[in-house]
Amino acid sequence: MTLEERPWTAFYGPDVRAEIETASYRTIGDLIGSVADTYGSAPAFTACLPNGMNGTLTFDQVNEMSDAFAVYLREVAGLTQGDRVALQMPNCLSFPVAAFGILKAGCVLVNVNPLYTADEMAKQFADAEPHALVIVDMFADKIPKATRGHPIPNIIVTRVAEFLPVLPRGIVGLVQKYWDKSIKPIGVAHIRLPDALEAGRAKKASRNVEVDAYYQAVEPGDVACLQYTGGTTGVAKGAMLTHANLIMNMQQTMELISGVKKGEEVALTALPMYHIFAFTVNLLGFYWLGARNILIPNPRPLSNLKRAFENYKITWMSGVNTLFNGLSNEIWFNDSPPKHLKFASAGGMALQAAVAEKWEKVTGKPVLQGYGLTETSPVLTFNPLGKSRDGSIGVPVPSTLVACLAEDGTAVQIGQCGEIAAKGPQIMAGYWNKPEETAKVIKDGWFLTGDIGVMDTDGYFRIVDRKKDMVVVSGFNVYPNEIEDCLATHPGILEVAVIGVQDETTGEAVKAFIVKRDQGLTEADIKAHCKAHLTAYKIPKRIEFRDDLPKSNVGKILRKDLRAEELARVAAE
Amino acid sequence: MVTEFTQTLLGIMVAVIMLGMGASLTPRDFYLALRRPYGLAIGVISQYGIMPLLGFTLALFLAVPETIAIGILIMACMPGGTTSNIFTYFSKGNLALSVLMTVTSTVTGVILIPLILLLYAAALNLEIPREDIIAVLLVLLVPVAIGMTLRKLSANVGAVLEFGGSILALFFIVFIMVTWIPQNWQFLLNTTAATYAASIGLGLVGITVGYLFAKSLKLHPRNARTVALETGIQNGPLAIAIIVFTFPPDQQQAVMAVPVLYSLFIVIVSTFVTLFFRRANTAAEQKMPDSLL
Repeated sequence: MTLEERPWTAFYGPDVRAEIETASYRTIGDLIGSVADTYGSAPAFTACLPNGMNGTLTFDQVNEMSDAFAVYLREVAGLTQGDRVALQMPNCLSFPVAAFGILKAGCVLVNVNPLYTADEMAKQFADAEPHALVIVDMFADKIPKATRGHPIPNIIVTRVAEFLPVLPRGIVGLVQKYWDKSIKPIGVAHIRLPDALEAGRAKKASRNVEVDAYYQAVEPGDVACLQYTGGTTGVAKGAMLTHANLIMNMQQTMELISGVKKGEEVALTALPMYHIFAFTVNLLGFYWLGARNILIPNPRPLSNLKRAFENYKITWMSGVNTLFNGLSNEIWFNDSPPKHLKFASAGGMALQAAVAEKWEKVTGKPVLQGYGLTETSPVLTFNPLGKSRDGSIGVPVPSTLVACLAEDGTAVQIGQCGEIAAKGPQIMAGYWNKPEETAKVIKDGWFLTGDIGVMDTDGYFRIVDRKKDMVVVSGFNVYPNEIEDCLATHPGILEVAVIGVQDETTGEAVKAFIVKRDQGLTEADIKAHCKAHLTAYKIPKRIEFRDDLPKSNVGKILRKDLRAEELARVAAE
Repeated sequence: MVTEFTQTLLGIMVAVIMLGMGASLTPRDFYLALRRPYGLAIGVISQYGIMPLLGFTLALFLAVPETIAIGILIMACMPGGTTSNIFTYFSKGNLALSVLMTVTSTVTGVILIPLILLLYAAALNLEIPREDIIAVLLVLLVPVAIGMTLRKLSANVGAVLEFGGSILALFFIVFIMVTWIPQNWQFLLNTTAATYAASIGLGLVGITVGYLFAKSLKLHPRNARTVALETGIQNGPLAIAIIVFTFPPDQQQAVMAVPVLYSLFIVIVSTFVTLFFRRANTAAEQKMPDSLL
């Protein structure tokens, strides 16, 4: 397929360009400064805590503060261009200040999940070798253990209520310290973020430092972020996302999403910005749009979002299936759905049709699903507003080729299943220090996603399953998602997971792990149900009843754990 | 029993607390409570249907002298107290509904209380001091309105007021228990078991029956908790004021026994009920994974 042959461009809105020739900015540093020049004293970021306490930074303030932080990193901490800086915090006002400062300084931003244990942090630090760590005080007690083998010379500590007015900041600090007891002693030498900014400002004034010079030395193809991925499938790898990758992907996504106006939107960021979806779409995209970005430090429990919805006229939000489902079930959200909302965008995991339907019923506005991976900065496809299709991940964003490939690397026929592959300016430069891993996923300029999908005749895509989860029964491909969906419709089944297991006659066989809702459910009931809905080779040959299923901390059922259990059992036998 | 000074101090505290509580509300909360008025109707029914019947039953079955029995009946016929709003707030109930129920029962009480007393105590002719009724409404509504306005002007001012109000409310609860007990120690020693049973039972059974009643009518758990607290928590100071207005000094002491004891024990009972309701609320929350992504 060539760029000229893209059938999906027919669904682009009238103002959407099929091709974005060049990025509007050389580097993210240029973007930050240039956008601040346009929106100046308008509010850029507002952190809203569960009780409604809040703090706001304007575009000018974020620009000035991130300048100060960049100067601190380069002149005071002594970092040089390309040095990694780890950032580990929930959504709060320090996030944009630190992230933008790191990128302006020409350093490489390494996002770290704040919920990581000290061991998980240690692994990531050992791989990325950061020269500095910006961390929120709630998690700073893990530093000594996490940096034992790989000391980080500069530790900058911030807090969730940083840059809030003095009284709310003080109250939040007292509550965290004495009521929640969520702030423990830090135990390593560190500097507080506001002190680091002061030091940066002083150095900037005394030495007449030009921050522009830092990022003018950066090339668009230089790495901006090391974004770690693959934690649930094995070794975590750092995807090298360049300045051009991120800027282009932000522009591609914003180009396709029509219906939003520059400088007029109020956007809700409940997803964590350390994740690539919120990083590109919310942190960079909403900023570029001149939107007021409402940052939610912790959306659990969901009532934590109530004050944000009450106090701000939210026009746009991004979320994941879990969030949309949860909000649609909250009584206060049903009573007062956000009336200024134009639409919501979903990513991160598959959006269930029932959830999308319920959301639209409650809010009266659609939720549009997109698709992508960390390695693709992340957006590859999105459903255009007004042309959204249930169960579809939409059409590729501008300047992007997406195809479904057979095992031999050739494109399958339209309507057939194949591995989704993509080509475009958002594809990562590779995995950090792992050329052999990079070679496995980037072939002839195509990035192989590992997802099996189908393209409809007009260019809409659907995801069928993960490639590695596919089961081959006597040469037939079986996709566990399809079997799980079928089983989930049985009223006696609460939860289900399907994997492939070794089988003497068919090579692999389908095995279903089932948590009963109805205790009287039998294997025969299940087989009869499957027989009514599935072809013979798809029907699970083996069925095991369980009390629960292994799940990740985001609530996804872990098929890989079930496979590992099966392998261990076979080995033992 | 309760000095003039303490009474005024408590009044001021309640006003400041309600300012903070008001700062947690928006006009929409009131609109929503009014849009579904059955919650409010259930509240009035439990307030003036269940509670007087409960009071009458207690007075009938507990072996108490007539003066005490009259005290029980008066206490049972009182409208909801402002304390119910505070406990509803801490129980994560529907505060707007609670405020509206207090207002409704207080206003309708002017007519309903004499009618109900006519039913249960035939000839008992009570003097209801209008200025006390107006004072109740003012101390409740004016601070709530100011609190809501301040929140609208600044979410931070609202959140700080709410925080301050809730801290003061906790202090208020402790203050009542700590000041009341030593001041009335002798009275506590001289009170009979039956009077204790009536004073504690009125609140405890009132909350329980109110809850079951609301639940049986399929009210949302949050609203059912609100109705329960509103039903069981009566306006004790109003009862005392009414007794002072109505009864000759030699009878006042005995008639007042239950209202005074009630005012102490309702705070203790409501504290435990609130802890229980908070746990129920947490247990009913949707389980979200550790992280959304």
